Amino acid sequence: MADMLSTGVSGLLAFQRALDTTSHNIANASTDGYSRQQVDLVTRSTETLGNSRLGTGVDVATVRRLYDELIAGQARSAGSGFRQFDTFSTYASRIDNLFSDAATGLATTLQGFVSAVQTVATTPSSVPARQVLLSQAQSLVNRLKSYDGSLASINSQISSQLQSEATSISTLAGNIANLNGKIIAAQGSSQQPPNDLLDQRDKLVGDLATHVNVSTLAQSDGGLSVFIGTGQALVIGADAAKIATAGDQFDPTSVRFVLQGTGPATDITDALVGGTVGGLLQFRNQMLDPARNSIGQTAVTLATLVNTQQAAGLDLRGQIGKALFAVGAVNVLPSSHNLGNAGATATRSDVAALTTADYQLLYDGANWQMTRADNGAAVTLAGNGTNVSPFVADGLSIVVSGTPQAGDRLLLQPTRGVVAGMSILLTQPEKIAAAAPLLTSAAAANTGSATIDAGQLSGPAVWVRGNYALSFTTATTWQVTDASNAVVVTGAYSAGAPVTFNGVQVVISGVPAAGDRFQVNDNVSGTGDNRNALQIASLLNKPVLNGGSVSLGDNVGRLISDIGVQTSQAQAGRDAQQIVMNDANSALSSVNGVNLDEEAANLMRFQQAYQAAAKIIGVANTVFQSLLDATR
Amino acid sequence: MRLSTSAIYQLKVQNLLEQQAALSKTQSQIATGKRVQTPADDPVAAAQLSKLADTQAQAEQFGKNSALVTNRLQTEEQALADAHAVLQRTRELVLQANTATLSDGDRTSIATELKSRLDEIMSIANRKDANGEYLFAGYAGGTQPFSRGQAGAVNYLGDSGARSVPVGAGLSVQDSDTGSHVFMSIPAGNGLFTTAAGATNTGSGVIDAGSINSRGAWVTGAFTLGFTSGSAWQVTDSSNVVVASGNYTSGGAIAFNGVQVSIIGAPAAGDTFTIATAGTRDIFSTLDGIVTALQGGASNDALRAQLNSSLNGSLQQLDQATEQLLTVRSQVGARLSTLDDADGARQAQLTDLQISAGQLVGLDYAAAVSKMSQQTVALQAAQQSFASIAKLSLFNYL
Repeated sequence: MADMLSTGVSGLLAFQRALDTTSHNIANASTDGYSRQQVDLVTRSTETLGNSRLGTGVDVATVRRLYDELIAGQARSAGSGFRQFDTFSTYASRIDNLFSDAATGLATTLQGFVSAVQTVATTPSSVPARQVLLSQAQSLVNRLKSYDGSLASINSQISSQLQSEATSISTLAGNIANLNGKIIAAQGSSQQPPNDLLDQRDKLVGDLATHVNVSTLAQSDGGLSVFIGTGQALVIGADAAKIATAGDQFDPTSVRFVLQGTGPATDITDALVGGTVGGLLQFRNQMLDPARNSIGQTAVTLATLVNTQQAAGLDLRGQIGKALFAVGAVNVLPSSHNLGNAGATATRSDVAALTTADYQLLYDGANWQMTRADNGAAVTLAGNGTNVSPFVADGLSIVVSGTPQAGDRLLLQPTRGVVAGMSILLTQPEKIAAAAPLLTSAAAANTGSATIDAGQLSGPAVWVRGNYALSFTTATTWQVTDASNAVVVTGAYSAGAPVTFNGVQVVISGVPAAGDRFQVNDNVSGTGDNRNALQIASLLNKPVLNGGSVSLGDNVGRLISDIGVQTSQAQAGRDAQQIVMNDANSALSSVNGVNLDEEAANLMRFQQAYQAAAKIIGVANTVFQSLLDATR
Repeated sequence: MRLSTSAIYQLKVQNLLEQQAALSKTQSQIATGKRVQTPADDPVAAAQLSKLADTQAQAEQFGKNSALVTNRLQTEEQALADAHAVLQRTRELVLQANTATLSDGDRTSIATELKSRLDEIMSIANRKDANGEYLFAGYAGGTQPFSRGQAGAVNYLGDSGARSVPVGAGLSVQDSDTGSHVFMSIPAGNGLFTTAAGATNTGSGVIDAGSINSRGAWVTGAFTLGFTSGSAWQVTDSSNVVVASGNYTSGGAIAFNGVQVSIIGAPAAGDTFTIATAGTRDIFSTLDGIVTALQGGASNDALRAQLNSSLNGSLQQLDQATEQLLTVRSQVGARLSTLDDADGARQAQLTDLQISAGQLVGLDYAAAVSKMSQQTVALQAAQQSFASIAKLSLFNYL
């Protein structure tokens, strides 16, 4: 009989635990990271009375949290992936919006400049038309600078966000290590799982995964080891490593991640994927830097085309044209790890061959080797890097200096700094070179069928200005005389071969007769001449970039469509990854989430069981009372 | 599958937010009338749109160019028409001066009017366009193209450049003609040869401008038609070799080397006439020559014959100049009609471009509006069902 009482008490205690646990579940129904708990009941060991075995009631074996390590890991990495796509697509949308305004966009401003050049070509002597051209050039430079400036400011935002990411990761790692310590201690003392501490730690690991992808390994003592990147230990037991930021070896303003653990500090930037950090790094490498380089490429091509053609023409005052645009130089950044003092000066020698890539020059102890920074592809260098014979590759002409040591590196950014250094050099509208420098004509009395081309300056610097006559002394020999009839040069006629003298070059083709004369005049008074302006306008619409396959306008269009494609891919990827993440989270919450209806049912079930157990005590009391009554 | 309460709420709310975002996007598409809001909405369309905008801006620029060129060509055509009228009047005056009944005084007054016609032609040739550029100076638009040098002759100071302006893809139109082409390089005589009477002739023989029998038989050079007596002529070349000879009858054809001239009147023995390969002669020196000839007087038959010969040549020269003007005018007319054609084509192209741009990024309003009402209904349904599901809880019955 006494057993009945203790059995009833064991039930009371067990169902009280169960009710406590249910109310704990209900109270934490909305707590982030909480896993529902469940009381595991076991029957007490039986006792033998005579030849029968009697049960002695119930015991609480443990309070267990419902959790699935495998599903949780999947949900974590799905979350990490989502955050990477989400971060990428958030930043991509910013660039996308930047380039969405068609009315003030780069393409429109560029076309406005081309139109202004064409207006000058139509009315070359009109000073107002030239003034418009200068204003359009200025607004084009402003537009380029505003885009480049916006992208540069996004870059510096990314740098500062990466710095705070490093701090967050370090803090989370510290907290996880701290919890590890508590969990190991709690588990050691009671042999019971510290459910709520485990939840907290799992939540922290989940938070860490939103910053960067992690992998975990549970230890037998209850500790959890956390690794990032390609397996670099971030937390081992109660010890946490620190993530610090450092400047890039070439560009100190570009933030990189360094793991400071027990061993030597290691740069883990390239190994980091997933989470906000992965998204930021991916955005910087795949979208931001290429976009800045592409704008730089457009700008430098524009400036070079216009400046070169300016130098081949005459302005309204009859002087050889001066450069219209100034552009920033090629950035040459030596590595901070260099042992020698190697440096280089690089100039853009051929805009058609220029790419949007950055390049690394590596000294292997005997030779310099060049690779593309974006994909590591080797680039063949022509020349030997001296002033006389500079390295020539991908439109660059590179002269190295200083004494390099083996392993020294230089980073070349051919197009990154172009726009920042851009400005308009001409302030007077008269200085636009709309006229061609020479005016050639054939004498009316010529009897041969030879024709002369428009001519050009082969050497503007050595041009001796003046009017020249090229006359055929015989059908196969010619002479050039200057204005005072002095012979400048003579030669044998070869159809189509250039005739060069005093910085001037003309081509005569066809069949000349003896006595035929061609005039090659200085076009100094050609204020109405538009040939050079036409040349500028046509160059701006011609495919000149990428080896003569892409025009300036096309290059801008390509940039816009690249940005559009990347952004829409990022958004699609983000949406897809969100579904994956939601599925994983649903799977996890179907294991560990609190369902209030279920808890309400449990509440009723355990309440009834508790009441029943209480009844046992009442019955036991009545039974005992009956016995007492019987013996009274 | 077992669902946790917070997951139920979270998923439903997320679903609502997504529907709201989609609705808001459709709404802003309707508000702006653009299907493509940012390049990401349709990267290909965005890039094509930027290309279309390029083409459109170019076409508009061609339109502006075309207007400016049209204006300049019309100014040029007016100048050519004015010059033509002046030449007509000049020709009438020369015809009038060439009649035998006029006195020296009459001719002097004709010469005076001719001088003012000459000034008129000069001012036409030095005309400027709307931008203040000389029409006929070639590239040297800031230089007055025609002025009299110290020797009194009119010089061309412009150059041989002729500006061409793009008015369509691959289509350029020359917006001027050089003064040397219009006024200076006019073929002399009948284009093949010129005729003139010797200055010391004493007879009354008058030579006409001549005609061509066979262009191929003409030999380049200067030939002298001399009269050995009043009734016999011979033609000698520059080295005094006799090329042809014959007996003279007034008005009879004198033919040699594929050309034919005739002399009217009574030439004296020793009179000479030259027949020489034609070069070019400018309008101004032709008019100068007429004025000088008229002012020279014709007091006797010999002088009158010389004047007649000279005026015959000048009339021919005026006809050549008129023909030159008409040729240039017809070229200008052809260019203007090219511009008209290009304008028509450009209008069609611009319409096309707008239609293409509309198709690329424009919004199909009917589809968008029906999509929006569909999305509104869906959002409302989701909100209502969420509200009623959220009410369900077992706790309501405890």
